[in-house]
Amino acid sequence: MNNNHIIGVFDDEDTLMEAVHEVKKNGFEIGEIYTPYPVHEVIEAMGKKSRFTLAAFIYGFLGAAGVLAFMYYTAVIDWPVNYGGKPTNAFPSFIVVTIVITILTVTLASLFTFSVRAQIYPGKAYILPDARSTDDKFVMIFDKALSGNKTGELEGILKEKGAVEVYEKELKPQK
Amino acid sequence: MYKTEVRGPLILGDKNYRQISSDIIAPIDQPIPAWWKAVFGISMLATLFGLYAMYKTVSEGIGTWGVNNSVGWGWEIINFVWWIGIGHAGTAFSIFLLILRQKWRTSINRAAEAMTVVAVGAAAIFPALHMGRVWLAFFIFPYPNTRGPLWVNFNSPLFWDFIAISAYLLISASFWYYGMVPDFATIRDKTTSKIKKAVYGFFAFGWTGSSREWLRYEALSYVLGGIAAVLVVSVHSIVSTDFAVSVIPGWHTTVFPPYFVVGAIFSGFAMVMTLMIIIRKIYKFQDYVTDSHLNAIAKILIFISLIMGTAYATEIFIAWYSGSQYEMFTFFKNRITGDYTFQFWAMVVCNAFIPQLFWFKKVRQNLTLAFIISLFINLGMWYERFNILITSLSKDYLPSSWTTYSPTWVEVGVYIGTLGIFVSGVLLFFKYIPMIAISEVKSILKGTSINKNDTKHISHE
Repeated sequence: MNNNHIIGVFDDEDTLMEAVHEVKKNGFEIGEIYTPYPVHEVIEAMGKKSRFTLAAFIYGFLGAAGVLAFMYYTAVIDWPVNYGGKPTNAFPSFIVVTIVITILTVTLASLFTFSVRAQIYPGKAYILPDARSTDDKFVMIFDKALSGNKTGELEGILKEKGAVEVYEKELKPQK
Repeated sequence: MYKTEVRGPLILGDKNYRQISSDIIAPIDQPIPAWWKAVFGISMLATLFGLYAMYKTVSEGIGTWGVNNSVGWGWEIINFVWWIGIGHAGTAFSIFLLILRQKWRTSINRAAEAMTVVAVGAAAIFPALHMGRVWLAFFIFPYPNTRGPLWVNFNSPLFWDFIAISAYLLISASFWYYGMVPDFATIRDKTTSKIKKAVYGFFAFGWTGSSREWLRYEALSYVLGGIAAVLVVSVHSIVSTDFAVSVIPGWHTTVFPPYFVVGAIFSGFAMVMTLMIIIRKIYKFQDYVTDSHLNAIAKILIFISLIMGTAYATEIFIAWYSGSQYEMFTFFKNRITGDYTFQFWAMVVCNAFIPQLFWFKKVRQNLTLAFIISLFINLGMWYERFNILITSLSKDYLPSSWTTYSPTWVEVGVYIGTLGIFVSGVLLFFKYIPMIAISEVKSILKGTSINKNDTKHISHE
């Protein structure tokens, strides 16, 4: 399969953003942008949204309900113990464990969700177009097949907008 | 927002992104220095001594300790609370300062989190050993068992403690690890050694820094930051209920949870200061951990020290105001005066008075003095826990059971062992993990440097 990509390498986020706006204006579809640190403008420009907070809320809700139900079942239904005549359903003091376990549930479940959604897990075969992008370069890639016969125009825009390098490369997953 | 014009640049030396990566990765690529080997050797010896003391405890029983019927909690619980306190720095730094949008945290949070993980790990040893029959420690898990099933008591502070500590350890370790993933990828892509590429590549989990990864990464960090902020307050509040829920004079007080939390953050920040002064001195990170970073920590320490002083005064006032003769006795005859006078005043001087020296700019800027003060604070915090535990337990309601307590070599040995574990853990961190969060420092570089592009000011908070 032809997996050729056009790769534009930039030195800093401002020139990168100008180029991003320009290529979008000219109707090119950006494949992906790789940055050494999170750049909010890039994330916005790629037009993706995350529903992470909703997921975390659901985990927390389920965690809290689950642990409260568990404590009620064990302490009230399954084996009630009389601690100095206090009620077996000691709701206020159940809250301590509930809070901590809720936080733990949210954390672990969110990390798992992150791993699944962002595809970050041990032994993953990853595609990194330009290894300098985890160091100091901002890299924008385009699927060559999508740009069709306008490849030259695209490369022109990238260079004009301050790309330090523009080249073609076939992307392969690496381990 | 961080005003560079007023507060000066956060990162000195006019760095570019490439320099930041290579500066921070440098210690990983350099050969292991002689001092590192020497200190690691000593800390391993301490760890071995500690392991021997633990072996003694387990094989012969708690009788090898100096604890008795009255003073049932000795050095083990003192050291447990002390380590947990130190372990508060990580969350306090990364999460409180993340929520408060304090950009200066980026140079320090990684080291603070590393310290947290090691310190909480060291702390967890003590309650486990204190159970006596450590091989039955799993009884504390609420699992369906053949003993009834008899469930654990969910109203017991000791069970809350177990839940709080294990959750804290898990959460801070995962928070720390996921913060390191992008940095591991940087090492993977920069290193020339094949072994390092493979090892760090494995731990980088295939990170590439694409926008879809950063999007989720950012979302995750806010969710975790928000939810784990509760932990900074909850963990030590729960530890304090071990004491406050009892009816022992000197413990049975509502001020304990906030008092413990503030104390924990106090010792955590002091330990961070100790550690950062060492790191910047040895690894020449003066451009990243600048004088103004240490200055900020010193100012926080003054503030917390004032709260500590107020808490001590409140306790003494309430002992008198309550009209309870037992409280009066504990505070006035067994702390301020009496057998444990030295420990009480050591606590007050180290925690409430000595840190006040930070009011002077000269003291804040003199790193030797700052280093010494930060050590004094941790000494003082140790005395605080000694004071709370031993004075209250040794002389309570029944004079016929009054006693004194001194630790045996086994107890001292376990403590030395945990010091060894902590130091060796921190040394391994120095050598194998980027000590400063590379990607976070890069993200604040532009917004907080003098030479920024004036046309566009971009904040990444």
